[in-house]
Amino acid sequence: MSAAPSPPPELVTLTVDGRAVSVPAGTLVWDACEKAGVFVPVYCAHKKMDPVAVCRMCLIEVGTMPKLQPACATVVQAGMEVRTATDRVQRFRQGNMEFLLLNHPLDCPVCDRGGECDLQDFAQRYGPPRSRTAITGKVHFDKARPLSDRIMLDQERCILCWRCVRYCDEITGDRAIVLQERAVHTVVDTFEGRPLTGPFQGNLPEVCPVGALTHTAYRFRSRPWDLQRTPSVCPGCSYGCTVGIDSRDNAVVRFVSQDNPDVDDSWLCDRGRYGFPELNRQDRVLTAELSLEGPVRAVGALEAVGAAARALAGVLERHDPDQVACLGTPQMTNEEAFCLQWLGRDVIGTPHLDHQLEPWPDLAPDEFRLAIRELEDCDTVVVLGERPEAATPVLTLRLYKAERKRGRQVLRIAADADPTELAGRVRDRGRVGVVAHEADRDRARAVATALAAANGSVHRLTLTEGMNGRGCKDLGLLPGLGPGYRRLDRAGMHGRAILAAAAEGRLRALVVVGPNPEMEQDPAYEAAIARVPLVVALTPVRGLLSRHAQALLPGRTMAEKQGTVTSSEGRVQRIRVALQPRIGAPPPELRLLVELGRSLGGTWESAPLATPAFDVICDAVPAYRGTRGGLRAAWPGTGGAA
Amino acid sequence: MAEAAGPPAAATPLLSAATRERIRTACARYPAARSAALPALWAAQDQLGHVPPEAMAEVAAELGIGAAEVEAVATFYAMYFRRPPGRHFIQVCTNVSCALRGAEGLLRHLEERLGIPDGGTTLDGAFTLESTVECLGACGGAPALQVDRYSHEDCTPDRVDRLLERLRAEPGPTGAPR
Repeated sequence: MSAAPSPPPELVTLTVDGRAVSVPAGTLVWDACEKAGVFVPVYCAHKKMDPVAVCRMCLIEVGTMPKLQPACATVVQAGMEVRTATDRVQRFRQGNMEFLLLNHPLDCPVCDRGGECDLQDFAQRYGPPRSRTAITGKVHFDKARPLSDRIMLDQERCILCWRCVRYCDEITGDRAIVLQERAVHTVVDTFEGRPLTGPFQGNLPEVCPVGALTHTAYRFRSRPWDLQRTPSVCPGCSYGCTVGIDSRDNAVVRFVSQDNPDVDDSWLCDRGRYGFPELNRQDRVLTAELSLEGPVRAVGALEAVGAAARALAGVLERHDPDQVACLGTPQMTNEEAFCLQWLGRDVIGTPHLDHQLEPWPDLAPDEFRLAIRELEDCDTVVVLGERPEAATPVLTLRLYKAERKRGRQVLRIAADADPTELAGRVRDRGRVGVVAHEADRDRARAVATALAAANGSVHRLTLTEGMNGRGCKDLGLLPGLGPGYRRLDRAGMHGRAILAAAAEGRLRALVVVGPNPEMEQDPAYEAAIARVPLVVALTPVRGLLSRHAQALLPGRTMAEKQGTVTSSEGRVQRIRVALQPRIGAPPPELRLLVELGRSLGGTWESAPLATPAFDVICDAVPAYRGTRGGLRAAWPGTGGAA
Repeated sequence: MAEAAGPPAAATPLLSAATRERIRTACARYPAARSAALPALWAAQDQLGHVPPEAMAEVAAELGIGAAEVEAVATFYAMYFRRPPGRHFIQVCTNVSCALRGAEGLLRHLEERLGIPDGGTTLDGAFTLESTVECLGACGGAPALQVDRYSHEDCTPDRVDRLLERLRAEPGPTGAPR
């Protein structure tokens, strides 16, 4: 799918405050200034949106042009002389700041944006030393008006930069927010003030350069200097959006987007962004609990591991390993998933292990070949049904970008559409991408085959459920396929078959890592695990699993551990510890799994930390080598690392 | 998401078939339907006398753009009414030339004489007064005001009083229809 190498763009050399800088032709002066290391203040300009040049903050001197020019909307030319620090520019900025602050309420002490506000920062840096406007003479607007249950609007703080309006036009396409009225009366609003309904509202406070749009969930919660930011991956789905986890007093208070142009393009969906309270849950499993003999008693985690290992060994002495099974979850890290399949396959010796309910016959890395970013390069993207965008909402924004900014054809078809009549609807006979949810992978294969016959180059992207469903598959936490999609001689039972066997009393022991929402919602789940005589469970939260375990080991949420996860497109990214475990907290899940395996006689070569464990993974799955830094795994026959 | 967000259409549409036809004709004159927002709003206002939010939503649906976008246009321009206006619409220019020639005093005189604030409508429904029109392009005859579709220049309180008397007798808006 790699595009033909385009000729390098022609370079243009200009000077910014006397410093020479070379940039590709067509670059905007603002970007050239940034490259030259010269900061030019902006409010309206945004890297992901087209320039409008309305805030006037970036006006600078260009050559002999008589008037100041907006750096955000002026294209560089060879020999251009840009001056950003002259007295004239500074005088202008001072005047512009005075205009912007004319009716601003100056309510910074109660504004959520205080401390990370461009209006504050630029007023400090470029503004006049004192105001000539009496506070009583200001024009007032609505304050603290909910635009929805997620977003609060303060029209007085707004500086009319158009960013939210352009976001709704260029990025989501719902065109829900506009500027109404005219001149000093102009306000940001929705039609008739009706609530926003879109699934991407949480990006609005991030594009807002001031405190006009704020998160309801973050209202009056913190100041930025009290927050600790941890770069990580959003656990909401398998799309792999990079996030900053902002925490305070060892609780997560918000997710912020981190611009990863290959994945999220700096946008998060509301489900992911506002899903953080899950990480602050109070119904936790904090100590190990044993009820192997007699009533439940709390013990140390490693002591519980030893007891669980003895109980498992007892089962294995009396029964065939076939009567033991392992169930993981797409919420585990790669290291944990790899370790669990080692524990099941190599140590216990059972072929029955899985992380999901349904079987995935004929699984091969080729169905994940298309990268998210490559969706923009496809002439046509065929999307099967509504499930891909329901499972990974940010995909919608990438598709809209491909359609709107790149002029690509996005063909949304019913999941059960007839593939044979599809070829005629594909506009250009060029590169075609087929995007499908994992539940429709058979149909996606049929569509891809039909289109390949007519069009040639067809690549697929399959969207998996759960944060790390892809990693669990890559690393062999499923029956019949070992790490790296290695076909195994012994077929095993998939998740649903394991539950059925358990319910019928055919399993003597289960090792389960939770939480696994897909399984736990299944009506058969509870009856199945209740029937197994020995359930060794590792889970961070209370629920069905913790209730029915004879050996319950304390797990960690994704905010409390480190490791790697693999997104649907095969990108291997790190998650990091955002919430520090308290002193005396149980060891990480990976260590507990390794110790369990060792106690049963298994050999695990490296120290059970995420980083050395990743090296063990790379030895078993060579495609994972070279993915450090958040790259896609390079599977043989599916193109190189990207 | 590419669908323009808007409220569901009213059970009984406000816009008549003739108005919709006018909107479609206007659309055909432009490469993009959104460019026809102004003539489309005129069509709606000519039929209904004003443009209520439901009509904006119908115009938006007709043009295939967001209801909020139509509202943005309708609120930007002073000549679209969001509430039913009086029989006569008086717009007073208060820009530089007119201001220098006493427009503020003229506006206050009108407010007093009609008993309504700027932007208001008299209780008998005869007059709506506004000064948000900005320049009427009649600086040579400042202070100027516009009533319905007629322009009145060199206005003084006396002349305005006589004008109001004449207008009270008129049954409907003065001036040629568009």
